[in-house]
Amino acid sequence: MSELSLTGVTKAFGGVQVIQGVDLSIEKGEFVVFVGPSGCGKSTLLRMIAGLETTSSGTIHIAGEDVTKAEPYDRHIAMVFQSYALYPHMTVAENMGFALRLQGVAAPERRALVTEAARILQIEPLLDRKPAHLSGGQRQRVAIGRAITRHPKVFLFDEPLSNLDAELRVQTRLEIARLHQALGATMIYVTHDQTEAMTLAHRIVVLRAGRIEQVGRPTDLYDDPDNLFVAGFIGSPKMNFLPVQASGPREITVAGQTLTLALSVPLPTGPLTLGLRPEHLSGEGPQVTLVAEVVEQLGQTSYAHGKIDGTPVIAEVRGHRPQVGEAIPLTLNPSRALVFGADGQRLR
Amino acid sequence: MSKRLLSIPMALIALSCLYPLFFALNNALKTNKEDILNRFGLATSPTFENFTQAWTRSHLSDYFLNSVTATVGAVLLLMLLASMAGFALAILRFPLRHLVFIAILASLMIPVQVVLVPFYKTVIAFGLLNTRIGLILSYTAFFLPFSIYLMTSFYAGLPRELTEAARIDGARFWQVWWFVMLPLGKPALITLGILNALYCWNDVLISLLVLQDKRTLMVGIAALRGEYTTNIPLLSAGIVLAALPIVAIYLIFQRQIVNGIATGAVKG
Repeated sequence: MSELSLTGVTKAFGGVQVIQGVDLSIEKGEFVVFVGPSGCGKSTLLRMIAGLETTSSGTIHIAGEDVTKAEPYDRHIAMVFQSYALYPHMTVAENMGFALRLQGVAAPERRALVTEAARILQIEPLLDRKPAHLSGGQRQRVAIGRAITRHPKVFLFDEPLSNLDAELRVQTRLEIARLHQALGATMIYVTHDQTEAMTLAHRIVVLRAGRIEQVGRPTDLYDDPDNLFVAGFIGSPKMNFLPVQASGPREITVAGQTLTLALSVPLPTGPLTLGLRPEHLSGEGPQVTLVAEVVEQLGQTSYAHGKIDGTPVIAEVRGHRPQVGEAIPLTLNPSRALVFGADGQRLR
Repeated sequence: MSKRLLSIPMALIALSCLYPLFFALNNALKTNKEDILNRFGLATSPTFENFTQAWTRSHLSDYFLNSVTATVGAVLLLMLLASMAGFALAILRFPLRHLVFIAILASLMIPVQVVLVPFYKTVIAFGLLNTRIGLILSYTAFFLPFSIYLMTSFYAGLPRELTEAARIDGARFWQVWWFVMLPLGKPALITLGILNALYCWNDVLISLLVLQDKRTLMVGIAALRGEYTTNIPLLSAGIVLAALPIVAIYLIFQRQIVNGIATGAVKG
């Protein structure tokens, strides 16, 4: 039985439908990340799971129990907010033990549970401090600690790293991954940062305009996206898209070069889009030349920006550091090329 | 240079506020004869006789107790109700919420004098005339709209996630208010307490109407003026006695008063 299941879940604010019939099943112990651009409904969906937003239609089950209309405290969930949401008038220990206090857990047992959570997160020396006397990273740990002490069935994270600086974000991301391994808990994590999604998730749910575009393992979404949106959203720098026409049942022509693709169906007539990731412009295949207009040097690798057939293209260059104006030979590797139809859906 | 120039009108304004206090204190220390002969001069042979007489023979001690009871009772009730209503209006979502808030704000615009007759009839109908509880409830009724407005503004400025975190932690709505919102509302509640204490303590009109056979301190002092028209030192002593608690409260809580006045004006 899945730990969490959403069936036909919708949400409307006034006349605006922000979540449009979401079906999703999450297994026990899974780490699932909701990603999507701003306004795609990922936070709303998380808040609906938490019970902080009502569900317009559909059902939400947690551990087999229908919680669609249940109050947040009856859902056995814990949530970590982007703004930490620590109670400023309580100490760290009181913050972490607040849920237990409400459950009527005796003070000594409460203290033991809080200390145990603090030990896991290495914040034991901070237990008697108030949130105002903590750094951003420490506050985030306390917020996570507050969730741990409750031993919830599902952990919900709403963009928890957004307020941290870049270095601390990477560090905390690793800590969350370790924490998930240590606890083996079911976690749902919302982010707009696809690097966080790729590094943390067992499965990624890509959302757009209140709909699920694709659900899958990070590598599946990266290698085998279902549509243009997912292909463009997952991966950094994003995938190059070149407008093309079919020149045969399985052939397309780009920049005067013909690519033969291994497709199970013949290509339709009409406009198509060829997708090639910046790091996949090498290997075996027809060659084209990119004149570097801008070069981003990242040390071990470089990104050259230029145009192919008038379309902007980014190419990853390894082995040497290209200069602006340099003609860089690229390979249109058919085994890496993805083709999308006029409706944006992938042609396989 | 501009600061020095600015300090001259500031000093004059401060002087105009301080002089009445000095005048009252100075005259309270004079005998009636000395006051008649030299009203604006310094007290040459200061005496505390006027204070003793006002406190005992003019029954200000009894009136003082009535004022303390009514003020403390009303202030506590106002803090409790305003905090609950402010929490509900700022945080909870229920039908006609905005309409309720507008109705409360609108009641701020109605002067007390306009509703005195229906108010008086209501007090009689509930059997609250000449009762301290009647005065406490009357003060609460009249000062509640402003108190709710202040607390609603304060709570609306708090991050919504605090309430949500508490709900996820297992708090029912009343527990969210009790454990989270009430303690967080402390700065606004202190300000509210002080402002309402000033209103209640200084009130004459409502207490004159509700407590007709007892008196609060301000009504007692007003009566002194009626009975002893020429005895300015006695009246001054009464005024000084009545002002002392308020001055003391102000000196103790002046930082909170200033902070609290800004509350609601600026969110966050």
